[in-house]
Amino acid sequence: MKALYRIILAGLMIWPLLLAAEAKAPAESGIREDVQTLKQQVLELNRDLFLLEEELLFPSNTQVSVFLSMNVGEFFKLDSVKLKIDGKEVADYLYTERELDALVRGGVQRIHIGNLRTGDHELVAFFIGKGPHGRDYKRGTTMTIKKGLGPKYVELKIVDQTKNYQPEFEVKEW
Amino acid sequence: MPKLALQFLSFWIWLAVSVNGFAVSVKPHEVRDLQYGEVLFHFYQDDYFTAITHLLVARKQNHLPHHRQEAELLLGGLQLSYGMLDQAEARFNRLLDKDTDRKLRNRIWFYLTKISYQRGRHEQAFNTLQKIEKPKDKKVRAELALLNANIHMEMGENAEAAEILRKAPAPAGWEEFLRINRGIALLRAGDIKKGRAILDKLGKKRSGDEELRALRDRANLGLGYELLRNGEAVQARKYLNRVRLQGPFMQAALLGAGWADTEHGDYEQALTPWLALLKLSSHDAPVQEAHLAVPYAFNKIGDSKRSNYFYKQALEFFDKEQQYLGEAIQAAHSGALVSLLSQRSIDANSSGGWLNEHPTLENVPSGRYLVDILSGHQFQESLKDYRDLGYLKHLLQTWLENIGLYYDMVEARRLAYEQRAPLVRKRLGENEIAALQKSWQHYNTLIQDDSRNNDPLNLATGKEKQQWKTLQQTQEKLAALPEQPRFIKMQDKARWLQGVLYWQIQSDYKVRLWDAEKQVKELGNMIGEAARNHQQVATALVDVKAGFDGFDTRIETLRTRILSLLPRIDIGRANASGHLQELALKELETRQQRLASYRTQARYALARSYDQVARQNRNESEEAQ
Repeated sequence: MKALYRIILAGLMIWPLLLAAEAKAPAESGIREDVQTLKQQVLELNRDLFLLEEELLFPSNTQVSVFLSMNVGEFFKLDSVKLKIDGKEVADYLYTERELDALVRGGVQRIHIGNLRTGDHELVAFFIGKGPHGRDYKRGTTMTIKKGLGPKYVELKIVDQTKNYQPEFEVKEW
Repeated sequence: MPKLALQFLSFWIWLAVSVNGFAVSVKPHEVRDLQYGEVLFHFYQDDYFTAITHLLVARKQNHLPHHRQEAELLLGGLQLSYGMLDQAEARFNRLLDKDTDRKLRNRIWFYLTKISYQRGRHEQAFNTLQKIEKPKDKKVRAELALLNANIHMEMGENAEAAEILRKAPAPAGWEEFLRINRGIALLRAGDIKKGRAILDKLGKKRSGDEELRALRDRANLGLGYELLRNGEAVQARKYLNRVRLQGPFMQAALLGAGWADTEHGDYEQALTPWLALLKLSSHDAPVQEAHLAVPYAFNKIGDSKRSNYFYKQALEFFDKEQQYLGEAIQAAHSGALVSLLSQRSIDANSSGGWLNEHPTLENVPSGRYLVDILSGHQFQESLKDYRDLGYLKHLLQTWLENIGLYYDMVEARRLAYEQRAPLVRKRLGENEIAALQKSWQHYNTLIQDDSRNNDPLNLATGKEKQQWKTLQQTQEKLAALPEQPRFIKMQDKARWLQGVLYWQIQSDYKVRLWDAEKQVKELGNMIGEAARNHQQVATALVDVKAGFDGFDTRIETLRTRILSLLPRIDIGRANASGHLQELALKELETRQQRLASYRTQARYALARSYDQVARQNRNESEEAQ
C-alpha cells in the first residue's frame, strides 16, 4: 500500500508541478515575434489614422481641447465634471474608480475636443464630488478664452486652495 | 516537488508586486506637457495600446518638448507591458547610447534586467542589474532586491538570494512579499530551520487584506508540504490546518492534511479531510486523488466493505471524468475552445489584454476543463496575444468603415471650396488691399509733413476749419467796406476771434499730432495684418486645393495599409489559436493519461480487495468444514 501512497502523492505533486512548468515554458517564439511585429505595425497605422482623423475633424485653426487634471488631497473624491462652451454643453463626464486613480496619480484627461472660430468664447465648468464626511461639493468657474489661429489648449485643474483646503478650479490656457 | 511548487509561488509573487513598482517609477514630479499627462492617464488605467497611440501621436506633433527623454522611457515601458519585448529592449538599448542622465540610465538598466529575466537570460539579467545604482527610495530598493533574489534563485544561488532579501528594506506593503520569498530561498538553500521560522511567522500573521491572506495560505501550504516531504507529519498537519477553508488552496491543504494523518497511522482521522473533498463538486486534481485516498484509508482500517464501495465510486467517477475529458478534447479539436476564448474579446473599453473574468460556459461541452486550462500562465500569455490580435482586427475594421466617411468629408470640402473659390478669387482680384495701402500712404505722408512743418491748422477739426474759413471770409468782406470806425471795430473783432481760434488749435497741436501719428500707425498695422491675411487667403486658395489631393493620397495609402494588415492579423490569430489548441490538447491528454493511471490503480486495488475477501471467505469455510 505504500506504493499506492507514493503514486498518489506523486500524482498530487504533478498538479502544482505542471503549473510551475507552464510558468517558465517559452511560447512558440515565431508566433510571439509575429504578434509583436503586427502590434508595432498596427500602432503606427493607428497613429497615422488618428492624425488624419484629427486633421479632418478638428483642423488646427479651429481646434480647441479642454483637459482635466487633479491635485487634491485624499479627502476629496471627484464624481463628475460638466463643461459648457458658449452656453452649449459639450461634456458631462462621470468618473470610474480607475479613471480617478489615474487622475490622482498625475494623469491628464482630454475631456473635450471641438472646433471654435477665432475670437472670444465663454467656457463654464462645474465639478461635483464628495469631501470629508461624504459632504457634497459643487464648484464652478467661468472664463473667457481667446481662440487664435493655432490649436487652443485649456487645462482645468482641480486643486486644494491653501486658505481653506477645499478643492477649486484653476484654469490655465496653454 | 515542493521545491518546484515554491518556485512557482515565488515567480507569481514577484510578478504581482513588480507591476506596482514599475508604475511608481515612471510618474513625473510635474506634468509639463498636457499630452504627456494624457498618455499617463491611459497608462495608469493599464490601457497600454491607447497610451502608446497617444504617445506616438504627441511625439509626431512635437507636443512633448519637456518630457522628451521620459516619454522615450515610458514608451519602452509601455511596449514591455503590451508584450512587445523586442521593441522595448531595442528602445532601451538605444536610449543608453544617447547622453541620458544618471537617473534615467538606472531606470533603463532596471527595465533591461526585467526583460532579460522574463526571457530566462538570467546571467545577463544579473549583469545588467549590477549596473543599477542603489536607489534612495525604499520601495524601489525593495523591488530591486526582489528582482535580484529571483535572478539568483533561478541561477540556483538560493543562499545569496536569501541574504539579499534579508538586507532589503521592507517598506509598508512589501514586507510580506520579501518575507515569503526569503523563506522560500532559505528552504531551497537547505536552511530548513530558518526558512520554516520565517514562513511560520508569516503563516500566523492576521490580515484583513485578501491578498495577504492568500499569501499566508500559500506560505502555510508550501511549508506543510515541505514538512510532509521530510516526514514531519505532525508539524505538517499544523501548517496545513492554518490554510483557510474558503481560500483557493483549500483542496490541496485538505488532501495534504489527510496524508499527514496517515503518516502516523491515523487513517480514521485522514478520512475527515478526504471525505470533505469528495463532497465538493470540484474536479480538480486533489478531489480526483481523494477518490483513491478514501478507499485506501478504509482498507487500512480494515473496512473492506466501505473500501470496495468507494473504489467502485472512484471507478465511476474516473469513467465519467474520462468521458468529459474526451468531450473536452473533441471540443478543443473542433474549435470550441477558440469560440470560448472569443467571448468578451471585443470590449469597447479595453484594448484586448488579459482575460480577467472566466468566460461563460454555456453551450460549450465540458467547458470547465477548458476554464481550468485557461488559468495556466502560459495559456494566459498566448490567450493575451490572441485577444490583443482580436482587438487590433476589430479596430482596423472600424477604421476601414470610417475611411469612406473621410473620403466624403474631403469631397464635401472640395465642393464647398469650388463654390466659394470664384468669389474669393474675384475679391482678391479687386486688390482692395492695394487701395487701402495707397490711401494709408497718403495720410502717413501728410502727418509726416505736418510733423516737419509744424502747421497746427493742418490738424484742425472739421468744425474748426469751417470756423477759420468763415472768419477769413468775414475779414475779407470787411476789408472791402469803407473805412468807418464801426467796420474797423468789426475787423478787429474778427481778427481777435481768428487769433483765439488759432490759439486754441495751436495749444492742442502736440496732443493732436501725437494722436494722429498713433492712429496712422495703428491703421498701418491693421492694413499690414489685412495684407498678410490677403496673402494667406491667396496662398490658401492654392494650398487647400493641393491639400485635398494630399488627403486623397493619404486616405488611400492608409486604406491600403489596413487592407494589407487585416489578413496578416487573421493569420496571426489563426496561429495563436492553433497554438492555444495545441497547448490545451497537450494538457487535456496529460490529464487523460493521469486519470487512466488512477483508474488502473483503483481497479487493481478493488480486484485485490475482492481477492482478499474471497480468500478470507474461503479460509472461513475451510475452517468451518
